Amino acid sequence: MRINPLFFRKTILAGTGLFLCIFLIVHLSANCILLLPEDMAREMYNAYSKTLRDSPIIKAVAYLLYLSILFHVIYAILITIGNRKSKPQKYEVNNARENSTWTSQNMGLIGTMILLFIIVHLANFWARIKLGMGESPGIDAMGNIDVYQVTYSLFQNIYYVIFYTVLMIPLGLHLNHGLKSGFMTLGFYHKNGLRTLAKVSLIYAAIMAIGFGIIPFIVYFK
Amino acid sequence: MEVTFKIWRQDGSEDKGALQSYEVDGLSEDMSFLEALDHLNEQLVLKGEEVIAFEYDCREGICGQCGVFINGRAHGPHDNMTTCQLHMRSFENGSTIVVEPWRAASFPVIKDLIIDRSAFDRIIEHGAYISAKTGTAPEANAIPIPKPVADAAMDAAACIGCGACVATCKNSSAALFTAAKINHLNKLPQGKAEQHRRVIGMTDQMKEEGFGSCTFTGACEVECPEGISITNIAEMNFRFIKAKIFG
Repeated sequence: MRINPLFFRKTILAGTGLFLCIFLIVHLSANCILLLPEDMAREMYNAYSKTLRDSPIIKAVAYLLYLSILFHVIYAILITIGNRKSKPQKYEVNNARENSTWTSQNMGLIGTMILLFIIVHLANFWARIKLGMGESPGIDAMGNIDVYQVTYSLFQNIYYVIFYTVLMIPLGLHLNHGLKSGFMTLGFYHKNGLRTLAKVSLIYAAIMAIGFGIIPFIVYFK
Repeated sequence: MEVTFKIWRQDGSEDKGALQSYEVDGLSEDMSFLEALDHLNEQLVLKGEEVIAFEYDCREGICGQCGVFINGRAHGPHDNMTTCQLHMRSFENGSTIVVEPWRAASFPVIKDLIIDRSAFDRIIEHGAYISAKTGTAPEANAIPIPKPVADAAMDAAACIGCGACVATCKNSSAALFTAAKINHLNKLPQGKAEQHRRVIGMTDQMKEEGFGSCTFTGACEVECPEGISITNIAEMNFRFIKAKIFG
């Protein structure tokens, strides 16, 4: 089958993007454990973390997740390169803000900020817990790796708290545009449905940005 | 009224081109934008200078020939309007008006503000028609078409091919134009027989012409003089996937 890159690349971007949107719901739900009283939070968070590490299904999903992030980034770059070729000369004066949102015009820039966040986030947790890099995490009373302590101690550093909170603004903007345009890329064109989808995207993006952004602050003041 | 025009002058696609300033007085706010350019050109003729090349035909918002980028917007400061329907009353007396040609790799500049839009014609050639010989117009109710379907097809058919969608799109995507042409015919029973071939043919040609990907900024539907909705692009995407599976 002949491939039309204009559609193929966007379909990959939308498919991986929507998968990552589902992942974020699961991630935020798990983060809510951190809001429980300390002892309960530690036990539950570490047990949850162990369940994830031990499950072969989660292992498969995790690889799907890594691939999704990788493909989302690669195809975003390919699309951007192609689009720049299509508009080699910019306008001397361009009032794009009068016909479209800043977010929709700057998804690449916003995405780069999120990628930077993901790299730091993986270095903070994934590299330490899964790859055993840096200071090794302790063990809790139940004999599980004390992921709670890793999280708690990280968010005692106000600079990390600010970083983790501020970078949720681009995440929210990215999700708000990405969710609805992802559905449109995959061919969802029902007019009233799209109006509802725009509202759902906004609510979803707000919940994700505020949810992920506020938890580090709550942990900091715990 | 008087204004300063900053107009893009470029002698052919190989020339680099630059903005050039012209102070123009004796304008009326009731003049259309194109009449103001005519007025400027008359002054240039009297001075023995080369006139500014710009394109137009009907001057009544139907043909889609006159599009230029005015003060950072396709067809000027108003939404959903052609350049010829723009009047000088939309600008302040003494203001500066920057006029540029549509910018896209697929729309090379021929001269000054005139660009070559034949890429659109070649997309049309790849499927925006029905190949059956229809003869004379049949009786209107011979093929029953539900009103919402007929209305939606008509909304898409309203595209005049002015190129504002490509011009305003940061990716120079021709998705709105191509989607309008595809959906117009694919919605109707007369267009169904060749629906898959049409979608694949036209979208392949869209790629061949060097247009970019649609990233749903929504700028195109704001600048489209016919107000063609961006949902047409989502519908084209649906039809594209359908054609790839069933075509």
